[in-house]
Amino acid sequence: MLILKAQTKWRWIIAGYLFLAGLGAGAYITGVVAGFLGDEWAQLSKIGVALGFPCVAVGCGLLIFDLGRPLNFWRAAMRPNTSWMARGTIIISTFMVLGAIHIAFWIWPFGGLSAGARAVIGMLGIVFAFSTMVYTGILLGAARPIAFWSTALLPVLFFISAASTGVMAVILTASLMGVPHSGAITTLARADIILLILEVFAVAMYFQATHRVPEGRESARLVLRGQVAPLFWLGFALLGLVIPLALEVVGVFALHDGGAATAAIVASISGIIGGLILRQVVLSGGIHAPLRAGRFEFGLPII
Amino acid sequence: MSPQGVKEDVWIPTSCGGCYAQCGILAHRVDGVLVDLTGNPETPAGSGRICGKGVAQLHTLYDRHRINYPVKRTNPEKGVHADPKWQRISWDEALDTIVSKFKNMKDRRGCYFQATTVQTSEIRFAIPAFMRSFGFKNYWVSGGGLWCGNGAHFMNGITHAAWSIIPDWTYNNYTLYFGCSKGHGAGHAALQSSQWVADARARGMKAVVFDPFLSTQASKAHEWVPIRVGTDAAAALGMLNVILNEIGQWDEEYLKLKTNAPYLIGPDEHYVRDRDTGKPLVWDAGAGRPKTFDDASIQDYALLGEFEAQGVKCQPSFALLREHVKKYSLERVEEITSVPASTLRRVAHEFVEHAQIGSSVKIDGQTLPLRPSAAIFFRGSQGHVNSGWNCLAIDLLNQVVGAADVPGGAMGHGPPVCHGHPDTGKPETIPYTCKDGLMIVKGWVYDHKPYPLREPKPPTRLDLQDMFPCSVYNAFTIMSPDWEKYLEDFKIDYRPEIMINFGSNSVMTMGNAEDVTENFLKKFGFVFSFNIYQNEFTEAVADIVLPDCSFLERYTPCVTFPSTFCHPTGMDHWVWQIRQPVVDPLFERRDFNEVMLELAKRLGIQEKYYAETNKLIPVRYGGEMSPEYALDPKGDYSWQDICDRVLKDRLGPDKGLEALKQTGLEKWPTKVEEMYWRWFVSVRIPIYFEFFKESGEKARKLCASFGRENIQDWSFYRPLAEWFPCPSHEETDPDFDLTAFSWRPSFHTQSSTQNNPWLDEISVNDPYVYLIQLNEDTGKAKGLKDGDDIWVENKLGRRIKGPVRLVQGMHPDQLGIAGCHGHWARGTPISRDKGQFFDDLVIVDEKHTDSLTQGTDACVRVKIYKA
Amino acid sequence: MARYGFVIDLKRCYGCYTCQVVCKAANHTPKGIDWARCVQAETGSFPSTLRQMLPMVCMQCAEPACLEVCPTGATQQDENGIVTVDQDLCMGCKYCMMACPYGSRQVVDAWETYFPDAEGALDPYEAYARKKWDEKYGSGVATKCDYCMDRVKQGLQPACVEACPSKARTFGDLDDPESEISILIRREGGFQLNPEFGTDPSCYYLPVR
Repeated sequence: MLILKAQTKWRWIIAGYLFLAGLGAGAYITGVVAGFLGDEWAQLSKIGVALGFPCVAVGCGLLIFDLGRPLNFWRAAMRPNTSWMARGTIIISTFMVLGAIHIAFWIWPFGGLSAGARAVIGMLGIVFAFSTMVYTGILLGAARPIAFWSTALLPVLFFISAASTGVMAVILTASLMGVPHSGAITTLARADIILLILEVFAVAMYFQATHRVPEGRESARLVLRGQVAPLFWLGFALLGLVIPLALEVVGVFALHDGGAATAAIVASISGIIGGLILRQVVLSGGIHAPLRAGRFEFGLPII
Repeated sequence: MSPQGVKEDVWIPTSCGGCYAQCGILAHRVDGVLVDLTGNPETPAGSGRICGKGVAQLHTLYDRHRINYPVKRTNPEKGVHADPKWQRISWDEALDTIVSKFKNMKDRRGCYFQATTVQTSEIRFAIPAFMRSFGFKNYWVSGGGLWCGNGAHFMNGITHAAWSIIPDWTYNNYTLYFGCSKGHGAGHAALQSSQWVADARARGMKAVVFDPFLSTQASKAHEWVPIRVGTDAAAALGMLNVILNEIGQWDEEYLKLKTNAPYLIGPDEHYVRDRDTGKPLVWDAGAGRPKTFDDASIQDYALLGEFEAQGVKCQPSFALLREHVKKYSLERVEEITSVPASTLRRVAHEFVEHAQIGSSVKIDGQTLPLRPSAAIFFRGSQGHVNSGWNCLAIDLLNQVVGAADVPGGAMGHGPPVCHGHPDTGKPETIPYTCKDGLMIVKGWVYDHKPYPLREPKPPTRLDLQDMFPCSVYNAFTIMSPDWEKYLEDFKIDYRPEIMINFGSNSVMTMGNAEDVTENFLKKFGFVFSFNIYQNEFTEAVADIVLPDCSFLERYTPCVTFPSTFCHPTGMDHWVWQIRQPVVDPLFERRDFNEVMLELAKRLGIQEKYYAETNKLIPVRYGGEMSPEYALDPKGDYSWQDICDRVLKDRLGPDKGLEALKQTGLEKWPTKVEEMYWRWFVSVRIPIYFEFFKESGEKARKLCASFGRENIQDWSFYRPLAEWFPCPSHEETDPDFDLTAFSWRPSFHTQSSTQNNPWLDEISVNDPYVYLIQLNEDTGKAKGLKDGDDIWVENKLGRRIKGPVRLVQGMHPDQLGIAGCHGHWARGTPISRDKGQFFDDLVIVDEKHTDSLTQGTDACVRVKIYKA
Repeated sequence: MARYGFVIDLKRCYGCYTCQVVCKAANHTPKGIDWARCVQAETGSFPSTLRQMLPMVCMQCAEPACLEVCPTGATQQDENGIVTVDQDLCMGCKYCMMACPYGSRQVVDAWETYFPDAEGALDPYEAYARKKWDEKYGSGVATKCDYCMDRVKQGLQPACVEACPSKARTFGDLDDPESEISILIRREGGFQLNPEFGTDPSCYYLPVR
């Protein structure tokens, strides 16, 4: 009769924060990298960079909204020596400053940033964007009693998902803006196919790692077979992996122009929703370790 | 050091009313608001602590669902789920209506007083005084037959002069628990017992718990012995067989001097009596001839052997008992109880070894037998067709090893036991003997003492209770669809007219709600009720509901005498504790006692009311009443005046209400002669219940004279302890493969606490209380998963629904439900639909009633299926 | 300077929930907040089954996980080892709730009455309790057990210790080797819950049997 209950305090809003921070950073990296690939990529580069700051900023807005005392949000960076949340706040803030400068002096409202300066900002931005993507996994991982979160595979998974949703966000925006589906955008889609395949492996390994301890097994049960299972299988596995993968493969290898664009739009929307749902699934599966006294194992009450 | 702006900051000593343990508490009042309740360190009743249930009573005072004004029913339709459509009325209108209903009665005997078992000390005066002065005899504590103790109270009255028994944890080393949780939060000196049993456990005391599930007490025990419900007597008699016939060890001295073990029994199963004196005879083995039991010249009482006296062949009752229990071979007992014979044999050996027969201990300069073994029981054992005999059979274990009311053994607990040693100067309540040398209790809580048995006489009560020799509460008559037939057959020449209800919720505590309401409650043309909440009872049938005070708003002159369950065992103090308001009654709430007094005045019966009160005081508290403080029938008293007089009469002129309000209590040290009274008081108790036979025979004849001989199974009226199966044990329908029973969580009191938000919060998070417990393997074999909603259905097709909790700590063919939950009243929304209403499954009829004590059988054969 | 600690004797505890309720009264914690929670467990299979209550308080860890993850500096550890939350500094991110292995951290999202179905104003007790709570904690911030420091400073025992019917709880100074709790821990094999999290709790338990 070991009754283990999942945490209830971090829900969709926090999932939205983790998701948007990852997506924004992923899109930004896509944009900066695209900028190094030549003129054909210029538009995609701008789209990627342009998505970075606003997405992360909205994500942070969600986090602040979820706070019990939002007006104290500015204190979030006071303890970087021990707290991953404080470190993350510094990382994300730095990224947002860089991302905002990047946009402001390249795209809107100002301009005139030299290519060299842009490259420097871009390189710095990539470092902080990468840190942001990984950080969203580490933040949860620092909650050591929650085995489902406290694994090195979670930052890997979140990083891949962030990269993939970032790429999809760029593809989606470009497609909606009517960027023709050939060349660069197809290459991006091919890259996303690789990311999605990696994500499948990462998810499989992630669940494999949960089986060491009872609370991890219960998390896996809850997510794969329990109450969260519909969300996981339909929301993440289907919307987040199968549909985008299938449509991207079809779009890249079998369709052209309008058809490819439509497939890309549907694939990206589906994949992006799946990315949000992944964060929510991981949060919903967060179960604290039982407390142990002699032969007894006690499940914590709901928190 | 009071914070700024605080004008008042006081601690008021009073008594908790969260259960019947009546612990002494301090109420913290700040600026007129009750803000905390804590234990009162001055009192032995609770010894400075308070339990969770007690603290949670903070909400009882202010609960926004409480009744604050008199209301009347405007929807004439009554019924279990009826909406009464309450309408607020004035106190004058309420009392005028009630008085006119009383005055217009066809026959005053048609009144019925129904009261709660929880507020034990509030019902001492007003109810009996009113009944006697107005002229009716019908009285009932609604949960009594099912939730309280028929068998336990009655049988402990006979063998321990007490309401119940608990181990003497100061010295006890080994306790057998049968269906009781004493020392684990049960309201039996709840707080002190909790500590003492924990101390005892820490020093190595072993407890063996016979229970169908891994209850709280079983979880703390040295050993849990899963047993089928209702088979306790079989287990006890099997162990008795081992003790008497295999081990062959017993406390000779105790049996000879303190019981009727040496009394000679003739072939007619009666005592062989001395021709001249009529006294029972014993065999003096020293002199080789029979003598009367109290003959000072007896050299040695024979316990075994066959003799001839007064021309008949006879044997000491002990020899008969020893022979009788051979029927309970462990193989047979294993079949009945499912407890392995090897376990029973081992436990019997351990029980005797730990009793250390022959050992002694010196306490306060007195050398006393030390018997650190005890077998105790309560509701689990007695809630069956075999109620009385389950209790007596278990207690026989204590009796044969001499572990009764001596250090380490099973101690009488609750009223009246033995107190008021002359040296203390306090009113005395010391057991005395009948002409046969058997013990009679000095004072008692209800009208008839447990022994001598009530003389069977044509009934005068609506429930026919007064016709049965040992009935404490009975429900099978009043809850029957054929109640009218009972009344006709037994020639009751009046009918139910008015019910007065004090705090009880009988719709939820007597059995199936429809049966209680339709067959019983709706037969009363007018029902008025004192309540603090609108509950299932008031909503179903009450015509007028009066807003009562809670225990935190009223006076009670004494809550600890007769001590229901407040005085612990062991050498400590006796305490006289009062109850006083911690704030003035809020809104238009008025104290029940005060209102009953006013009703007596309005009915013009106050002279009789005062006179009856005068008579009740000595009965309740022991000792005679001084004329100085007796109520003058011509006088005019308030309830506080009466409290004041009771206190001055009992405790002295300087100990009136005003004085006691300051301290809340008066205490004095327990004397060893009081606590361990058994060897100081010259009384014997029966191990052979000779008197049942004769009494049963008389009752049978009486019933036969009314043409209802088969109303009960008269074979229960026998001299030697026996196990009789419950209907649930005899069920053969394979679909009905589980026996359902109920249990009480320590943090709830009957049906009265479920609307408390703090206790509800605990219950919601508790893994058992609001769920149905089933053995995990049994559940899985039925395709159930933990948390699945299931139906539990009895043979009558009545069913209840709830989520199942699959546990390993449950007997595989039993099913457990925490009792008295699953409320539905509009007036108590917090408790609504939380947990299950077990009583709805209980069947109340002749077959499901103990023929000896008329207790209701609370185990039910059920089938379950997924909802 | 002391290191305040608890010893909870599982052998004595029988699971009455007194600590949990008394804590509510002593600290005016609102609906849903219990600083002294009790959880139950069962182990073994029928009929060799055991069941036990685990009553809890804040473990006041020497190496508190909550302190480590707190981003704002609201969480502090005083000179007696008591872990406190400064409600003026806390932003209510609930990270501490995730990191604490013992479920000791709780947040009130919004103060709620216990009588949602009742009409009219709060009753005098609830109004008093709410005022007390809001003065000290309020909504949105992390709250936790502080071993009743206000009571301890007045020379009293923590409320749950004073009330415990079976005297299963003992409060004292772990730094003093002669304190009752230090002796109990040594003599009866006191242990900490889940030491693998490296928090070094100041609450020790004595074995079930």
